[in-house]
Amino acid sequence: MAVVLVVEDDTFICELTEMTVQDWGHQTLAASDVEEALEILRSPQHIDILFTDIYLKTAVSGGFQLARQAILLRPQLRVLYTTGNFITEDMRARFLDDAQCIRKPYTPRQLQTSFEHMLAAHS
Amino acid sequence: MAVSDSMTGKKVVPDIAASDIVETVPSALLVLDRDLHITSANRAFYQTFRTSAHETEGSHIYELGNRQWDIPSLRTLLESVIPHRATVEGFEVEHDFPTIGRRTMLVNARKIFQPGDHDGFILLAIEDVSEERAARAESKRNWLLTKSIVDTIRDPLVVLEHDMTIVAASKAFLTIFGTTEAEAHGRRVFELGQHQWDVPALRDLMKRVLPENKSFENFEIEDDFPGLGRRVFNLNARKISQPGNHTSRMLLVFEDITDRKQRERDALGLTNEISHRIKNNLQIVVGLIAFEAKRTAAPCVLGYKAMQARISAIAELYDLISHTSHGRTIAVDAYLREIAKSMSASLLDEASGIAIEVKGEALDIDPDRAVPFGLLVNELATNAIKHAFPDGKGRIVLCVERIGDEIELTVSDDGVGMKKASVSPRITERRGADYVAIFVRQLGGTILAPESAGPGTTIRIRLPLLLVLPAGSEPVAA
Repeated sequence: MAVVLVVEDDTFICELTEMTVQDWGHQTLAASDVEEALEILRSPQHIDILFTDIYLKTAVSGGFQLARQAILLRPQLRVLYTTGNFITEDMRARFLDDAQCIRKPYTPRQLQTSFEHMLAAHS
Repeated sequence: MAVSDSMTGKKVVPDIAASDIVETVPSALLVLDRDLHITSANRAFYQTFRTSAHETEGSHIYELGNRQWDIPSLRTLLESVIPHRATVEGFEVEHDFPTIGRRTMLVNARKIFQPGDHDGFILLAIEDVSEERAARAESKRNWLLTKSIVDTIRDPLVVLEHDMTIVAASKAFLTIFGTTEAEAHGRRVFELGQHQWDVPALRDLMKRVLPENKSFENFEIEDDFPGLGRRVFNLNARKISQPGNHTSRMLLVFEDITDRKQRERDALGLTNEISHRIKNNLQIVVGLIAFEAKRTAAPCVLGYKAMQARISAIAELYDLISHTSHGRTIAVDAYLREIAKSMSASLLDEASGIAIEVKGEALDIDPDRAVPFGLLVNELATNAIKHAFPDGKGRIVLCVERIGDEIELTVSDDGVGMKKASVSPRITERRGADYVAIFVRQLGGTILAPESAGPGTTIRIRLPLLLVLPAGSEPVAA
């Protein structure tokens, strides 16, 4: 079982994602913006995966900004980005090393495969 | 002229009379005595001033012709300058001559002494430099005209030497970058301001402009400029040379594209925001379908999955369209390549033995038909991936070519062929075939009868070619 922090500005998507992830036996935490997510990341709570949207309402590149700070706080954290936008080379250059990205709309199966790859790579 | 005698080895000096030399010199020459009477003149003098030896020799210089040499400035030269100096060079005389009009003459004078003659003579060489002076004045007028034209150009520009030093800067350059001509002249462009132009990639490009005659355009530099704030400039450079002049210089133009860039960024921001919202909505739909699928009996799950895949394909196509568009149209070949890339990434893993290839002619389709076109390709290629290769190995080729006034789309594979693969198609497969027919109808096309030649399956579809009309009118299908 892993702990996944879901950072998503759309409440409905956030809750759907949490339900899906919990069905696989994982535990979830949720935040809707960078600050809220950083608060959780600064807490002693164990977290395996940060699953964040790149575009977070108040911050166009909020996901990039969050991941950069998150990895400083927790160097072992696995990062999975998601975005509804076309992934340009400029965006790819901003990905953290070892991070992955899944494009919206993703199916639960695609999300599960991404999680499995990330967890397997670090185990 | 001295030549060598081959027999004796001694130099032989030909007997050339001074008068021969005088006659061949192109400048007009006069020899005057101490009283300024003309003792002789050469042919060039007679030709230039349209006179003769008879009218000239023995006359006082001021009385020549209709006293055309009685010019105040020449008087000064002959009466004041010559007595005190042995030679005079480049004395310029501008005068309206009755016979030849207004002329500029360059006068050189030298005193000639002969043994025993203390007074000597004056040799006067008169060169008509009117044309040269006129050309110089014309060149100056041209320069002023060029400069005034250059100064009306709103984009700042500079002219550079080979070593990148500034020879000339336009008024716009001086105003915009808050410098003066004196400050800019002779300075290297890389040293200007806060060294904003000192960029290695720009240096490399600029180095090649003159030696290789290689122009460059649209080199973008974004920086903070004193007094201007954050600005984006596009730099364009080309070699300039004057006809008949061997030297060349570089023209460097700075186009301020800050506003355009901002508009592009705003548009991109808006596109990203809309895309973010649309994809979030599609994400909700895909999520809801997934939840329904969990509660559905197994035979229906495949249908839900196919629904998810088609929604994903539509989402994908919107992205591809926005990245393969030529403004009003979509480049079909680039679009097909993107579809192939995206299908390979989503349906085939790295170890897959199935490859999707694209053979595309450069053709355009209108944005209205891009989505059904993409869904059609998606449907046909997905069918091939699912059914053509039971052993997991093979090749799918997506091809577009122009045939007359139609586009032919071919999706072919080298798999097992349709008859062997699906003798009794399942519901989803039949539905897939229905969708193909619907998309083809939507595109105004026709499915060609399958050809039996070769292994595998080849589906050929003919679509009307888009007629791209000039901007302002609506595109129509042929």
